[in-house]
Amino acid sequence: MVETGIPKLDEFLGGGIPRGKSLVYYSQPGVEGEIFGLQTVYGTLKNGGTCVFVASSTIPDIIKGQFKEFGWDVDSFKDKLFFVDSYNPLIGAPSNEKYIVSNPDKIEYFHKTIMDIIKELPPSTIVFGSLSTIMDLCGEKETIEAVRTWNKMAMLYNHVIIYNFTAWPYSNETLNLIKGDIFNSVISIGGIAERFIFGQYFGILKSDWADIPRKSMLFRVLRPGGIKIFIPKILVTGPFDAGKSTFVHALSTRAISVDRLGTTIAMDHGHVDYKGFSADIFGTPGQERFDPIIKLLSGESMGVFLIVDSTNPSDFVRAKHMLDITKSYGLPYVIVANKQDLPGALTPEEIRRQFHLPADVPIVPAIAKDKIGVFEAFEALIDKITGGI
Amino acid sequence: MSDYTTGIKELDDAVGGIRKGSNIMLIGPPMSGKEAILNHIMYYGAAVNENAVITVTTRESATHILEWFKEHNLDLPLPRIGIIDCVTKTLGGVAAENESIKIASSPVDLTGIGVKISQFFEEFFMKKNTQKIQLHINSLSTILMYSNIQTVFRFLHVFTGRIKAAGALGIYVIESGMHDEQAVATLKQLFDGMIEIKSQEDKNFIRMVGISQKPTPWFEYEIEGHNIKILRGN
Repeated sequence: MVETGIPKLDEFLGGGIPRGKSLVYYSQPGVEGEIFGLQTVYGTLKNGGTCVFVASSTIPDIIKGQFKEFGWDVDSFKDKLFFVDSYNPLIGAPSNEKYIVSNPDKIEYFHKTIMDIIKELPPSTIVFGSLSTIMDLCGEKETIEAVRTWNKMAMLYNHVIIYNFTAWPYSNETLNLIKGDIFNSVISIGGIAERFIFGQYFGILKSDWADIPRKSMLFRVLRPGGIKIFIPKILVTGPFDAGKSTFVHALSTRAISVDRLGTTIAMDHGHVDYKGFSADIFGTPGQERFDPIIKLLSGESMGVFLIVDSTNPSDFVRAKHMLDITKSYGLPYVIVANKQDLPGALTPEEIRRQFHLPADVPIVPAIAKDKIGVFEAFEALIDKITGGI
Repeated sequence: MSDYTTGIKELDDAVGGIRKGSNIMLIGPPMSGKEAILNHIMYYGAAVNENAVITVTTRESATHILEWFKEHNLDLPLPRIGIIDCVTKTLGGVAAENESIKIASSPVDLTGIGVKISQFFEEFFMKKNTQKIQLHINSLSTILMYSNIQTVFRFLHVFTGRIKAAGALGIYVIESGMHDEQAVATLKQLFDGMIEIKSQEDKNFIRMVGISQKPTPWFEYEIEGHNIKILRGN
């Protein structure tokens, strides 16, 4: 198996890409699909693998620079990473790379270089920086025929072969072939667009070695960092003095509170970066007069933490009411049973009974001030939001 | 009520402004001042009309463009400017991105250029709440030097569509006389109109076609500093 290094994708694919398989990252124009190929290169190198990157739309040095922008040091893998340079010959500049395509507008020249690599190198991950550029230069039909052969040969020689492809308006025949039977797996990368693209997601269209979950994951591209799964907003609510601000701060890599006399009167705001997930966290004030804020924020959130003080059952009625407000928006939620270190704290099961909550609602015991239980709660909520994949 | 204007008064008056969602070709011979005209439209759009202006540059570096405005004592409102520089990296220059500059890896990298355009659109719409956006591409001729006409057509097909959906204005520069007529005719299908420039006996003329019912008259113009001075209509 070769890991893509992309959070959740390896899991979706049953651990990664088996040797001999081909995969295409099929991107809508305008979304950052090419990062998927780069991240897969780095994922392979980090695990000791050998990689080939076919640079067809810019020079290899710029690709190396892009790795650096993501904080991925590829220099230390010099003898494990090979570039195919088909860009310098295109603009008539000299190339220092071992593998070059001297006539990048003729598919035969690509074919010769790729076949040499497939036969010469030990089982490797071969990544095409932009299949669409090759197709633009060499023709749709010609390129597709070559790709079929490369995939077959890669299978015989135990390589993994991966393509970044931008779905410009090519002929339907071409697009259907690419989404169809040419590759063992197709990862679709798209944008959520209204008047413009404001969110990016990926999902698996096809994989012939794994049962594919019908899920799309939102992602953002961070520099440094690469692809991170992205959950736009998570709401933290709960009665007065339950420890919401403490929870937000414990969970966040950075956070601010707007408060007066030790209690939050406006809101807490934090940002979490944990196990490939990024999320923005908003904490609401506990007092009833601020309930409109909960309503306002609920409309834009994707999940809710309800923090309760486990030692203070008299507040549970209020907590239940706050939960009802957010539930009316249909949001997934997790109960955080805070202050478990104090005497008289109820166990999660006792809290479940008092709240009359069904067994599938996660109640996570926590001591927010010591950061105990906060990341467990986060994972539980992510599972709820993504459907537990 | 017009949605967009060029800032060249006589032209704007003649066509009554440009409807939102329009895609326009700016075509003219070399050395006729297309660069100055585009810069003028950029300045007028950003500073006077308070639109956001995204410029894809395949000929001059972003720094070079910003210097032009400085030299002409024009105070460009940078928060409303987005430049996508496709030159600096391929020349081996040091290129740093900032709020108003993004760097694409080469003029061949249409995928990368497309990503940067989308990012500026998102930033202007979402973070800066600017609803009116101009996209200038200078120039399609350079992009055509490295890619074939079908490739450029597909790229433009996507982005002219986005301009329409976003109610923005797209202006695309082409050198006349550099491409065969069929190529220009192919691309013309994607545009709603054009700003046409011609040179005759050391004089330059400009007109707009397709924006109003009839083409505007040819206006003779001179470039004075940053100003496009119309001499007379004929």
